Amino acid sequence: MCGLNGIYAFHPAAAAPEESELLATRDAMRARGPDGSGAWWSENGRCALAHRRLSILDLSDRASQPMLSEDGRLAIVFNGEIYNYPALRAELEARGTRFRTSSDTEVLLHLYAQDGPEMARSLRGMFALAIWDERRGGLFLARDPYGIKPLYVANDGWTFRFASQVKALLAGQKISREPEPAGIVGFELFGSVPEPFTLYRDIRALPAGHTQWVDKIGPREPRPFANLASVLSLGAQEALPATEVPACVANTMLDSVKSHLLADVEVGVFLSAGVDSGALLGLMRDAGQRDIQAITLAFEEFRNTDEDESPLAARLAEHYGARHVVRCVSEAEFYNDLPDILSAMDQPSIDGVNSWFVAKAAREAGLKVALSGLGGDELLAGYPSFMDLPRWRKRLRLLTMIPGIGRVSRELLPILAPGLVKWKPKALGVFEYGRSWPGLYLLRRALFLPAELHRFLDSGLVKTGLARLKPLQMLAGHLKPDPGSDTGRVCALESLHYMRNQLLRDADWAGMAHGVEIRTPFVDAQVLRELAPAIARIAPGTGKAALANAPSLPLPGEILKRAKTGFGVPTSAWMKNISMPQERSSRTTADSKGLTYRRWSQFVLGQAGGGCASITPA
Amino acid sequence: MHLLRRHDSFRHAGEKLRCFALVGDAFGGRGGIAQYNRDFLNALVASGRVASISILPRHAPDPVSAPEIVHQMTPRGRIGFAIAGLVSGLTQPADVVFCGHVHFARMACLIARKWRAKLVMQAHGVEIWSRPKVAWSAIQKSDLILCVSRHTRSVMCAQAAVEPDRVVVLSNTVANMFTPGDGSKFRQRRGLGNKRLLLTVGRLASAERYKGHDRVISTMPAILAQGYDLMYLIAGDGDDRHRLEQLAREYGVEDRVQFLGALAADQLVEAYRAADVFVMPSTGEGFGISYLEAMACGTPALGLAAGGARDALGDGTLGMMVEERDLCEGITRLLSAPPLRGDALAAAVQARFGPAKFQNAVDAVLMRLCDDAGRTWHEAA
Repeated sequence: MCGLNGIYAFHPAAAAPEESELLATRDAMRARGPDGSGAWWSENGRCALAHRRLSILDLSDRASQPMLSEDGRLAIVFNGEIYNYPALRAELEARGTRFRTSSDTEVLLHLYAQDGPEMARSLRGMFALAIWDERRGGLFLARDPYGIKPLYVANDGWTFRFASQVKALLAGQKISREPEPAGIVGFELFGSVPEPFTLYRDIRALPAGHTQWVDKIGPREPRPFANLASVLSLGAQEALPATEVPACVANTMLDSVKSHLLADVEVGVFLSAGVDSGALLGLMRDAGQRDIQAITLAFEEFRNTDEDESPLAARLAEHYGARHVVRCVSEAEFYNDLPDILSAMDQPSIDGVNSWFVAKAAREAGLKVALSGLGGDELLAGYPSFMDLPRWRKRLRLLTMIPGIGRVSRELLPILAPGLVKWKPKALGVFEYGRSWPGLYLLRRALFLPAELHRFLDSGLVKTGLARLKPLQMLAGHLKPDPGSDTGRVCALESLHYMRNQLLRDADWAGMAHGVEIRTPFVDAQVLRELAPAIARIAPGTGKAALANAPSLPLPGEILKRAKTGFGVPTSAWMKNISMPQERSSRTTADSKGLTYRRWSQFVLGQAGGGCASITPA
Repeated sequence: MHLLRRHDSFRHAGEKLRCFALVGDAFGGRGGIAQYNRDFLNALVASGRVASISILPRHAPDPVSAPEIVHQMTPRGRIGFAIAGLVSGLTQPADVVFCGHVHFARMACLIARKWRAKLVMQAHGVEIWSRPKVAWSAIQKSDLILCVSRHTRSVMCAQAAVEPDRVVVLSNTVANMFTPGDGSKFRQRRGLGNKRLLLTVGRLASAERYKGHDRVISTMPAILAQGYDLMYLIAGDGDDRHRLEQLAREYGVEDRVQFLGALAADQLVEAYRAADVFVMPSTGEGFGISYLEAMACGTPALGLAAGGARDALGDGTLGMMVEERDLCEGITRLLSAPPLRGDALAAAVQARFGPAKFQNAVDAVLMRLCDDAGRTWHEAA
């Protein structure tokens, strides 16, 4: 829920924050918080905070933000949900703290007063928050371990600014739009902008799982308070016997779903015909929710075909007694919504169209909060990468040790196998990148390989961008310390790279554009801690089987069977029709999907580049 | 506790720091950069947290007068500088290595690594505008990079792959002698009577033509045409003087331009006080200390909205900031009705850039070098 922003003129020569800038940034996030807004200035006028609210817990005005502590020395703006706040509140009350509201925001204030920056470690949930600390004369920021909630910062050397969205910071008109080569190159490599970079040099993400302190000396380097690779690594050292894995998955996920149902408004669920969302629905029922609204997307193109998942989703809804809403989307609606999609897209992304429509459907159904199965594939080895990467590594290990083979193959393959290179352009990089986990992962997820970028981006920009981004080093950072098992390594790479930069960002902008809070019970540091000893034992397939049996009433067998072959989504065909209008079709084959995304990425970057000083691809 | 990460061999709280500084010039040096280095090193001394400072300068043309705990070595040419740097740097233990110019980055980095000392890099501006052949990899190893303005910081962040939060703006300050006062003696001596005076202060170097003397000269006919009894004073000397004299003749304003040459400090203060408008339409300032000096003397300042000048002009709230095409209009506006003048302007400059603010900022830099945010949080309460 919500959008937050603030300005802190820390340098004595800087002008005090202007109200017009503060409100322009805040109100650029109207969609994130349609239910209310507020602004607050520190006593000396050097720091200003603002907030737009989507009310979910404690709907009263007392819970409005920015919220002050009773003595007025702390002021907070907060975006997210703290699922363990009742427990935290009880602990604080036991120590004599008195509360004025029933919101989780007030818990954060008291917790900060008690623990300082260490408070971030106690929180279960998704959060981005900023607290002005009058007594210490500084600003404290924190962002959740997975990076579910966004928080962008900009420091020009005099003034520190932050907001939930990049576009909102730009709307304040005070931040340079100089392009960041690492952000542009990162987007073309991966299809989303890898944090901490953005398209703009002066705007960065506060990295997930980090806190930051800003005082009269300016912002200090962000400090980590959580390391998910180390959670996996510790888990691998205490790996569970395989027989205990199903029970561990069932208990952990039931607990997580229970936590994620905390709200003073109705909580629905996004339901596909897959195992993840089906299990969520079953576990919601086990958690005691009787009346459940489930939202499923269907597509005109697939009506009455095998690729339509809505009949099977309907079967699931019936199985668990949920109210089922099927929302049909057509290509015409996609075209109609495209300008809004591109404008809501905070940073360029090659995905997010599905999230846009499912959030839209949820809003139409009157929901403010919905659970999503996002993260299930990363956690329980659902992606083909869990099979492929270890296999490739085994096969390529010896070959890639031959000196120079990477370059030789890059030069020779286009001559020896031109057809292969045309349809599988990444084949060129197999020997170059096949020697390490980060290399293999880059190969797997890359939209374009680094050597291809100069074909459509300025070569100076590519060189600078790669030098600043250091893609292999960045990916290697997700494996420190080593997660201790193949499943753990792929889980870390998929969660900390793809899910964090792509899926979670898409869910945030698409959900927030419709005022819908998307909650993700699979993406939870507590869940990872509990499941880590099991993850080392999970092989592709077994994790999902355990999940299918997690609800007391297990998923129907046909769901697990059908999920393996998957369903069609026509969105890539729609994208193709826009970015490659000469090749119109209603289907996109798997082979050409990668090529479609390559074209689409350039279309999206071209649209986003309008706001950025001279970055439109050549 | 994880927030208390410390540098391995760094001094314990309370222990004073030993500093080693490589600079172009500082004590006994001339110009804005030497002044900045002196201000910085003096502030280190005044902080009370420093035990000793060893300075190796490239140049020191004037007599050296430095505080007691400062030891400045004698400059001995380029090769002598390198040898002395390595010998003294690698034999004298240091806790902080201050590198006053990016060209010395490699040596500074080596010395800092030898002592596991904190490396503080200084950037002014012009030396990093175009990607010169400096050791970016050494610069990137700095614990802190001090930049004189937001613009210099922005260029630094673009050129070097550094953590942006390590790049900090430490603005120039203005010396105590620059105060409002009587400029009539200066007028008398120079026979300027009641003429309206424009003043620019800066080196006349052919390599630094961005300062904008020629822009002012080319604007003069239009200002004179409005009936102002005008004189343009150019303080500073250099190899570009002849060209500017020629330019003044071309515009037919040679009798309206006076070249004052390089002025001694007391003369400079009087010149600022005597002037009606300080104007420097420069496009390449790292900061532009002379804007501050003029305004500290109570004289309104005018510059372009370009580069580091924005900082010195306080984004237009201290001095006037115009586009190049509006230069003439800006000058006549300040001549006819200066917005803030005298004590009010000087006080506003002191409040933002005065020595007290500079000292606070240097104390903060030291605090940041010695410690980290977590400790600050717990001790600040």
